[in-house]
Amino acid sequence: MPDLKRSLSISSFNKAQRRFLKDCAVFFAPVIIVYCVLEILALQLPINYKIVGEYLDSHSDKIMLIGLGSSQVKCGFNPALSNVSAINLASSSQHHKEDFLILKGTIDRLPNLKYVLFEVSYMHLELPYHSKDYWKNNIYLKYYGVNTFERNTYFKDRLVYLSYPRFFSSKLKDYYLLSNKTNKSELNEYGFDTNNYYGTFQKLHYDPDQIKNQFFKIYTRENLDIFKSNTAYLYKMLDYMQAKKLKVIIGTMPLYKNYIKRRNPSVVRRRDSVLSVILKKYDNVVLLNKETDTVHFKIKDFLNENHLNPDGAKKFTALVNQKLDSLN
Amino acid sequence: MLFNSFSFGLFLPITLLLYWAVGFKRIKAQNFILLAASYFFYGLWDWRFLFLIIASSLVDYFAALAIKGTENANRQKMFLYGSIVWNLGVLFLFKYYNFFIDEFALLFNMQQGEYAFSTLNLILPVGLSFYTFQTMSYTIDVYKNRIAPTKNLLNFLGFVAFFPQLVAGPIEKASDLLPQFSKQRSFDTTQVKEGLRQILWGLFKKMVIADNAAYIVNMVYASPENYGSLSLLYASVLFFLQIYGDFSGYSDIAIGTAKLFGFKLSKNFNIPYLAKSVTEFWQRWHITLTRWFTDYVYFPIIQKNLRSNVRRNIAIFLTMGLIGLWHGADWTFLVFGIFQGFLIVLERIPLRNNRRSSFYYKPLKMKPLFPLFSALIITLSSILFRSQNINDAWLIVQRILSFIPSREIGILLNKYFLTFTVCMLIAEILTRRKDFPLSRIDRYTRSPIRWVIYYMLIFIIFQYAGFKEEFIYFQF
Repeated sequence: MPDLKRSLSISSFNKAQRRFLKDCAVFFAPVIIVYCVLEILALQLPINYKIVGEYLDSHSDKIMLIGLGSSQVKCGFNPALSNVSAINLASSSQHHKEDFLILKGTIDRLPNLKYVLFEVSYMHLELPYHSKDYWKNNIYLKYYGVNTFERNTYFKDRLVYLSYPRFFSSKLKDYYLLSNKTNKSELNEYGFDTNNYYGTFQKLHYDPDQIKNQFFKIYTRENLDIFKSNTAYLYKMLDYMQAKKLKVIIGTMPLYKNYIKRRNPSVVRRRDSVLSVILKKYDNVVLLNKETDTVHFKIKDFLNENHLNPDGAKKFTALVNQKLDSLN
Repeated sequence: MLFNSFSFGLFLPITLLLYWAVGFKRIKAQNFILLAASYFFYGLWDWRFLFLIIASSLVDYFAALAIKGTENANRQKMFLYGSIVWNLGVLFLFKYYNFFIDEFALLFNMQQGEYAFSTLNLILPVGLSFYTFQTMSYTIDVYKNRIAPTKNLLNFLGFVAFFPQLVAGPIEKASDLLPQFSKQRSFDTTQVKEGLRQILWGLFKKMVIADNAAYIVNMVYASPENYGSLSLLYASVLFFLQIYGDFSGYSDIAIGTAKLFGFKLSKNFNIPYLAKSVTEFWQRWHITLTRWFTDYVYFPIIQKNLRSNVRRNIAIFLTMGLIGLWHGADWTFLVFGIFQGFLIVLERIPLRNNRRSSFYYKPLKMKPLFPLFSALIITLSSILFRSQNINDAWLIVQRILSFIPSREIGILLNKYFLTFTVCMLIAEILTRRKDFPLSRIDRYTRSPIRWVIYYMLIFIIFQYAGFKEEFIYFQF
């Protein structure tokens, strides 16, 4: 035993090895120090997730409505305008899987939770879920206290800067170096960006002709296998909400007419048929279908082809309020 | 565990410290640490498949001993076939069974339940195609008297499961790697530093080039019908760069990691984009796989009649078709392989007697354009490799050739990514006689400059890495 102990100690290394270890320590020390500084700075950033997380902590006993979904709900629902105390936990590219894990991870902290607003948008059922390495898992863990890794976590999972260095570097640059930038986000106490106007549509001066010729990203590819698994997951999520006696508003978010035209009709049909089955099956679910609503939502309400700006969000939140009234 | 993961960043130094701490004279202890680390490395992905690796290792270990233990040629053959049937059987079961069942059902227009065999709900064990080929070549080499079988089980298990090359190669011949397990390995600071530099270069290629390219390629290939000709061509070129960065990056990390432990692995890439023909491309791309198929498929077919051109061409088609199929159970891979075979056969057709020029190169006449031309051919054929199915591949080729305007090309261009890609290509071309651009950099640069280069690369990797993507060759 003493022999093994000796063989695994620093004295067991020869001179060249010890020299090499010293060189490594000298080389990597600045890397680690710089990283620590960046991590600390990143933690100070007033980003949306941080503010939402703080709001979640401080108002957990009052929150009655939770908003879940992707960037469309994030941009389209302003909790400050909601008739009931609400929080918007939606974020870009957030899928049902993350929605469900966030709901399950926060529900015990929300004793007054009654309503859930979540999104089943055009491609929601035919896009694959993120892998378990999805960078936002760190964010959810750090700021919302929710484990979306679906495994035990360790210290690395709480490192914010490391989760997506490019994103945080750009945020650090904006916050510390470009403080006079005009199109900076202005987050309210709910983490909603009230200055989120600087999208493609504003760049094109809301000119319909220019917008018509603008390229935008849209998925049109059908994927039946993913559709099957996503739909099964959606039902699982709805069963859970029913068991928890939550009232659910399923939202389809407003789209600009270019986008509406380019959608794949088969994907839309499949999604709509799922929604109609859900409405028949679950009595705690109502639908707020605003995807093709061109009456309420005009060109100036859009940030781009499939996202609302704060003006559009005001209108959409008002429609959520109407739905809430009808639920009571 | 992925090479570009935080956990590997912890795993590697711990293993390395333990490995060198036991002292270079205690080979057995070092090999034991390597084996335990390799099984841990693999087990983190799915521990259940450790049993498969161990079973495969044991089958070939005992098969080789049995072959040498008997003088009877028939019995030797029986043990060899037993090993081959086991290895190919495992590969077929996990990788190809469902494909053949589905295609069989499709061929006869049968619905599920109408035929006796049903598809299996199996996942493909990571690295199966790599380690199966490695163990199989060991038994064949023993049978052919090229090497003597090892009696040391620990060494053999280590040879099969050696973690740097376990999941995606390089596919090592037993005669190259196995003896290294019995030799004393000394800590050579120069080699270790060389290994670290190669890992750094590999990480750059994987995380900055391949992962950023993947983002654009995935976007375009997810719905090719929405993109114009130039965008599709650009995405296809990027796919070539992606797979190159991904796999050669992986190989660099693997070779570099092996160097840290005092091992030498075979070179797997030799700047394939400089190949002047498709034949040369395959001598520069995934070299160890091409070598394996050349040694164990191509040569055995042609050796009976070396002068027969027909036999040689059939052997090329078969070898390339199998190389295609090795990559995955799909028609796209098979057609890709056969297409490569067709191009190689085409290159072998002489235009006139005594001339070795190939007819489809003739119109070009300009030698410097040859690499560009072959890169274009490889890029176009890699559409088959990337597409989800044959229909998609055909759609992409059609759209590229239809000259559809690409208004959207602007959103696909990323200036940082393009700059780094150009830098990588220039660095590799300028240092093409070396194993990788940072190799032996200490011979011609002073330490502060070297450190600045390393820090810059680390900064770029941190700052400009794309979204983490699995290594493409893991799926094979």
